[in-house]
Amino acid sequence: MMSFFLVLITLIFGSYLFQLSLPPVLLLKGAAILFVPAIYFYGCLAFPFPLVLGLTFVTGLFNDLLLVPQSAKSDFVLGTTILIYLIPGLIMHGLRPLFLRHRWQSHWLLAEISAVLTPFVLLAEYSILSFQRNEFFFNDVVIWRIFGPGLISLLIAPCVFFILTPLSHALGYRPGLPGTR
Amino acid sequence: MRSTTIATLGIFGILVVLILLLPQTTKQQMQAAFYQAILPILRTGASVQQGLGGVGGGLKHVDELERENARLKLENRQLQATNNLLKNSEAEVNRLNRALGYKEQSSFRLIPARIISRDSATWWNSCTIDRGAADGIATDMAVVTETGLVGKVTSVANDVAVVLLLSDESLRVSVTIEGTQEQGIVSGTRASTNYAPDLRIRFLSKTANLKPGPNVFTAGAGGVFPSGVLIGQVKDFTVKELEGVATVKPAVDLAEIRDVFVIIGRK
Repeated sequence: MMSFFLVLITLIFGSYLFQLSLPPVLLLKGAAILFVPAIYFYGCLAFPFPLVLGLTFVTGLFNDLLLVPQSAKSDFVLGTTILIYLIPGLIMHGLRPLFLRHRWQSHWLLAEISAVLTPFVLLAEYSILSFQRNEFFFNDVVIWRIFGPGLISLLIAPCVFFILTPLSHALGYRPGLPGTR
Repeated sequence: MRSTTIATLGIFGILVVLILLLPQTTKQQMQAAFYQAILPILRTGASVQQGLGGVGGGLKHVDELERENARLKLENRQLQATNNLLKNSEAEVNRLNRALGYKEQSSFRLIPARIISRDSATWWNSCTIDRGAADGIATDMAVVTETGLVGKVTSVANDVAVVLLLSDESLRVSVTIEGTQEQGIVSGTRASTNYAPDLRIRFLSKTANLKPGPNVFTAGAGGVFPSGVLIGQVKDFTVKELEGVATVKPAVDLAEIRDVFVIIGRK
């Protein structure tokens, strides 16, 4: 279990760096292609609660260290994304019994649910920034920036899930099944 | 609830609260240390991207390269000539300033740096450069190119620094508009449809009635940005309820820049 946990953290870190080199999708008004939420949500389903908290902490912290410029008057406090990720992460963890059925249909359904939850992170970030900057507006660009990554994740998340499941099995971790290390 | 779960929840809560309550300078140092740690990865990524770009460049025809070389030589001579003239002008201005008892004008000390990663976060615009505290760079130093202002340094590690770009909404710069007495605050936009978004000047007078075209320069207020650095050109002007707002096309193509200069002081 721990080896798969470490692999997942490495994958999240690598995905953050990979995302840096990906241009936004101009067709979707600059929506970003995000791999990290899909990997994180898979971890929320695969791991027991204490490791979910660990994964949430690392994912949120990496996000803020890598993506949020920390100036002297930064209006987005380092560590906020940990709390933002925690909410959808706990929702996904609540669906773990479905994940433990080990049927591809339920895994596919959970992957799509994770895609639906992806915009939550962006919406929460946008809401916090808007509150801090005293200006709350929604235009088509903002809506695409929030919900576009969710649409893209509808395609990405099932692929991520179907890659991570054999990877966890290869590392000897079969959640909910006997013989798991 | 099992005791391990409660213990983990407690540790998680304490760690999160600790991080949230850290002083901002510590957070800047944490970010700088993080970037210093991943610097080899960023450098490798940047050189791979450069290498991929270089494959196309390597296919250029020899004639094309010769023409480009000749053009660059000519441009170099022109720039040297302009530079010499400007040096003479600087000496002349300083001589007159001394005569009038004014403080001497001096040119800036610039450190060249290369952008090694560009942050494509949804709501923030920043980049990372390959120079840091070892080269004399510190937080809040202005970053420019030969065509205008790029942004300012926010976090600095030994060999790497994070630059908040002018297109970010949280970076605010006081500006003046060429040919007018107008002053305002320029900032980026939170969400724009392209890589090089337009900027917005707020707090202009409602009667400013700006036409497209005039240059926008830094005003030098606040001490972070020196005065007279070009920001862009006015694109349009609208009157809001309490203020005039102008849209500015940035002088620097923030999507395409690769090399920048950090102003580390005056000569």
